[in-house]
Amino acid sequence: MDISSIPLLSAIVFLPLVGAILVGFASASVARPLALFFALLTWVASLLLLIGYLPDRPGFQYVETVEWIPFFGIQYKLGADGLAVLLVVLTTTLSWISILASFKPIQTRIKEYMISFLVLEVGMIGVFLALDTFLFYIFWEIVLVPMYLIIGIWGGANRIYATIKFVLYTLVGSLLMLVAILATAYAYQAGHDGSWVGAFDFETLRVYAGTGGFSNGLQIGAFLAFFLAFAIKVPMFPFHTWLPDAHTEAPTAGSVILAAVMLKLGAYGFIRFAVPLFPAAAQTFAPAIIVLSLIAIIYGAIVALVQPDLKRLVAYSSVSHMGFVTLGIFVFTEQGLQGAVLQMINHGLITGALFLLVGVIYERTHDRTIAKMSGLSARTPVYAAIFGFFVFASGGLPGLSGFVGEFLVLVGTFAANPYAAAVATVVMILAAAYLLYMYQRIVFGEVSDFLAGLGGRLTDISPVEILTLAPLGGLVVIFGIQPGLLLNLFGGTVRETLDAVRPAAPIEIPSPVVVGLVALAVAGVVARTGWAIMRPSAESSTGLEPDPRGAH
Amino acid sequence: MSWQDFVTISPLVAGILTAAAILVVDLIQPARSAIAVATALIGLGITAALTLIVGLNPASAFDGSYTVDALTTFLDILFISIIAMTIVFGPDYLVPRNLPVAEFATILVFAMTGAMLIAASTDLLVLFLGLELMVLPGYLLAGFHKTDGNSTEGAIKYFLLGSFSSAIFLFGLAFVWGLTGTTRVDEVAGALAAVVAGAAPLSPGLAMGLAFMTTGVAFKVAAVPFHYWTPDAYQGSPTPITGYLSVLPKVGAFALILRLFVEALGPLSDWWLPVMIVLAAATMTLGNLVALTQDNVKRMLAYSSIAHTGYMLVGLAAWAGDPSGRIDGIEALLFYGAAYAFMNLGAFAVVAALQKRTGVTSSLATFAGLGRREPMLGILMTLFLLSLTGIPPTAGFFAKANIIIAAVQAGGPLTILAVIVVLNAAAAAFYYLRVVVYMFMRESATETPALRHGALLWSGLAAATALTILLGFFPSALLEAAGRAAQALVPG
Repeated sequence: MDISSIPLLSAIVFLPLVGAILVGFASASVARPLALFFALLTWVASLLLLIGYLPDRPGFQYVETVEWIPFFGIQYKLGADGLAVLLVVLTTTLSWISILASFKPIQTRIKEYMISFLVLEVGMIGVFLALDTFLFYIFWEIVLVPMYLIIGIWGGANRIYATIKFVLYTLVGSLLMLVAILATAYAYQAGHDGSWVGAFDFETLRVYAGTGGFSNGLQIGAFLAFFLAFAIKVPMFPFHTWLPDAHTEAPTAGSVILAAVMLKLGAYGFIRFAVPLFPAAAQTFAPAIIVLSLIAIIYGAIVALVQPDLKRLVAYSSVSHMGFVTLGIFVFTEQGLQGAVLQMINHGLITGALFLLVGVIYERTHDRTIAKMSGLSARTPVYAAIFGFFVFASGGLPGLSGFVGEFLVLVGTFAANPYAAAVATVVMILAAAYLLYMYQRIVFGEVSDFLAGLGGRLTDISPVEILTLAPLGGLVVIFGIQPGLLLNLFGGTVRETLDAVRPAAPIEIPSPVVVGLVALAVAGVVARTGWAIMRPSAESSTGLEPDPRGAH
Repeated sequence: MSWQDFVTISPLVAGILTAAAILVVDLIQPARSAIAVATALIGLGITAALTLIVGLNPASAFDGSYTVDALTTFLDILFISIIAMTIVFGPDYLVPRNLPVAEFATILVFAMTGAMLIAASTDLLVLFLGLELMVLPGYLLAGFHKTDGNSTEGAIKYFLLGSFSSAIFLFGLAFVWGLTGTTRVDEVAGALAAVVAGAAPLSPGLAMGLAFMTTGVAFKVAAVPFHYWTPDAYQGSPTPITGYLSVLPKVGAFALILRLFVEALGPLSDWWLPVMIVLAAATMTLGNLVALTQDNVKRMLAYSSIAHTGYMLVGLAAWAGDPSGRIDGIEALLFYGAAYAFMNLGAFAVVAALQKRTGVTSSLATFAGLGRREPMLGILMTLFLLSLTGIPPTAGFFAKANIIIAAVQAGGPLTILAVIVVLNAAAAAFYYLRVVVYMFMRESATETPALRHGALLWSGLAAATALTILLGFFPSALLEAAGRAAQALVPG
């Protein structure tokens, strides 16, 4: 039987929707297991996709095409290549983990929560599989609504501010992207005697772009619009300011999905659409984007150093880590792009786990202030050990998966521009600094008064919580030792993307800019170190956030 | 005048007979709202059937002053659905306030015949007649709640500015008639084409006439800066009537614009295009900016309806500004009109449902905790608001996408207009979603019990919901109908 005759992709996209509808009709008491069941079912289906995928065959597989709005040549077209398959599996895996992790923390409006989460999953999977630009946009926007509700209804104290900020930022970017999608389609239509057929079809558009069909003006305008949409989602500096708020206020599972999957939507958009469709514009803007990525890497790390709140720290570390992804994409070298994709997957696994771990401690203490916690290793040794594992993974310890992606990005960047690589390498030290400094403060030392005051409520990590973390930990080890497993899968995508760009020469970045960036990084480190030396009592009271309970 | 003429205008006659029948039924069975509504719906059903039958054979009647073509059929069916929905939403709000349902339905149906007359008229005088027949019942409706001061105030403002703008419009019409010597749309277009071709001089009088007519029409569609009457008229009126006012007279006025600006003044499009671009940009931007600051949902929806007028004007400008004369802009305008009608009526129906208990205001606080108190209403309202924002997969999204496609195609300054559209859509998200915030993320300050809503309301909401969703998923059928209608207007 021909494998393409089974609408597997549609099944994966819409299984969560079936689940959401059933949860809507079921009673609240079964909402949790029912949602988990459908998330697991989707996960299994996505694993079938992974198993059935043939990495050696070029192009898209499992393609499904249905005419949808023939008037404009808009199709319902899904298809998967190695990159999409990987990201879909990442999505389905983290979805069931997030749903499982929400069982205890979410106690109000459980049905609505589960429905939102399943609809969110539909949107995210759809984005990764859509091969029609219009359909892509629709899934892109569908993602927005459930996340808006998840942050706004089940979030923290400042949730409404955070969720509105999140929606408005994302919407501004994505609506401009809609204009760009339509303008691209129209440019194609105008070049084909007014026929809309294929005007929204990604594969057709890519071929047309490859023949230089799109004018330079259109490329620049459309690329900038796509760039804005994706840069806000990734988020790149200076479009990142929604992220710390959204992360801090979102419920744990919301943060996990936000960091692990939703940030990848932007990076995926760059690789899938922005670069292949507008190669000339992508090259024009690559130096600027590289500089922005470097700033994001440095800035995220420096800001993470001084965050008093655990979740905010992880959020800013995301800005820094995602900077490596955009850096890897826009240096246009094979290693760079491979590293970027690996970094996407690894960041998903590791940061997802870190948010889960922050959630675990928040469940017990209802607090995330780093200054209030110390000596967790004495009270919750298993938790401390698992936390340590993921902290090292995030810091890029060789042997764990976080290292491979960043390393490849650096290698790729070195080939394109050694100075940029040098700057990025310096920041790997910063990453170790903020992570280990945070870990040291909360895990070691005397048990703080705050934690001691919790008494028996501060229990160690529970088996269910370990169950949510174990798959992530396992994958971090496997991909750390055998990154080739992944590289095989998406090698084709990487080559196709690079073929579209064909960079002519190494990317030039004006040397004053590089010097400035190095100065920024060094100044950041010096300032932080100096601050730590001058304020040796920082461990006991950071002075960063007045502690209402500690101020006797 | 022949037998054939009467066949051609039979839908209009059916509409008027329906209005009369409701009155008669109300005389026989006074104050039985169910019977009045049933009569109205049956009559509207017959009218719709006749419209479709007559629409099969495009024809013109009364010496070419009344024309039935694909555009007429499209608009008539839209008008009939709007009125049917409004009538269905009415009783739940009117009965607890002791307002007569039968009169409400009668006036609405009369207004509908006015709109239908506009859609079919190819003579400037008939156009004006239709306009007046459409807006006069509106003044009555705005003041429908006679004992309510706000309602009366709104009605008087609406009436004064409305008749004022009608007068201005008529004045402009007189100039055009005086200088072209005809009121027939095609002949006016011919005379103007001669002017554009340089065969005849452009007199200042004609330019003035054009300016007056633009002003009059801008009043009717509530385009900035001629929008001041809208918020007061909308807020003062009983809520189901506000829903009606924000939809039918607006879409009706766009029908007028299509017949007038596209058909009669089409040759002059290079002249009025800059005006339309500025009007569109100002209308959507100002409408949205003011809507941002409203904390009364009815007033917010009133200002947002101004913004939607702006989006529709973009469609018109896209047609006028398209160098190769593509009709996509008109098509997009028609599609937007239909999508806007259903989602806006739905949103107003939810507001009206909340106000079933007398004394409940339409302030944002009323919506606090609605998601918990009445989840179904909360979910439906969310859907309508998302559609008004333009989030896929809803009717509102596709409507906006169409407008943007048309504008992008036209290129030039229209591309900038498309960008303004999307930036406005993002700003609109803020105030639409604020209602969602209140419904689902805030708790009500006072304990309000859930209300019981009638079957009529639910069926009306079901229809609005179904259309909002279906037009989002399967826009093709309506798109094709809109395409045929646009084709009839501008044979290209």
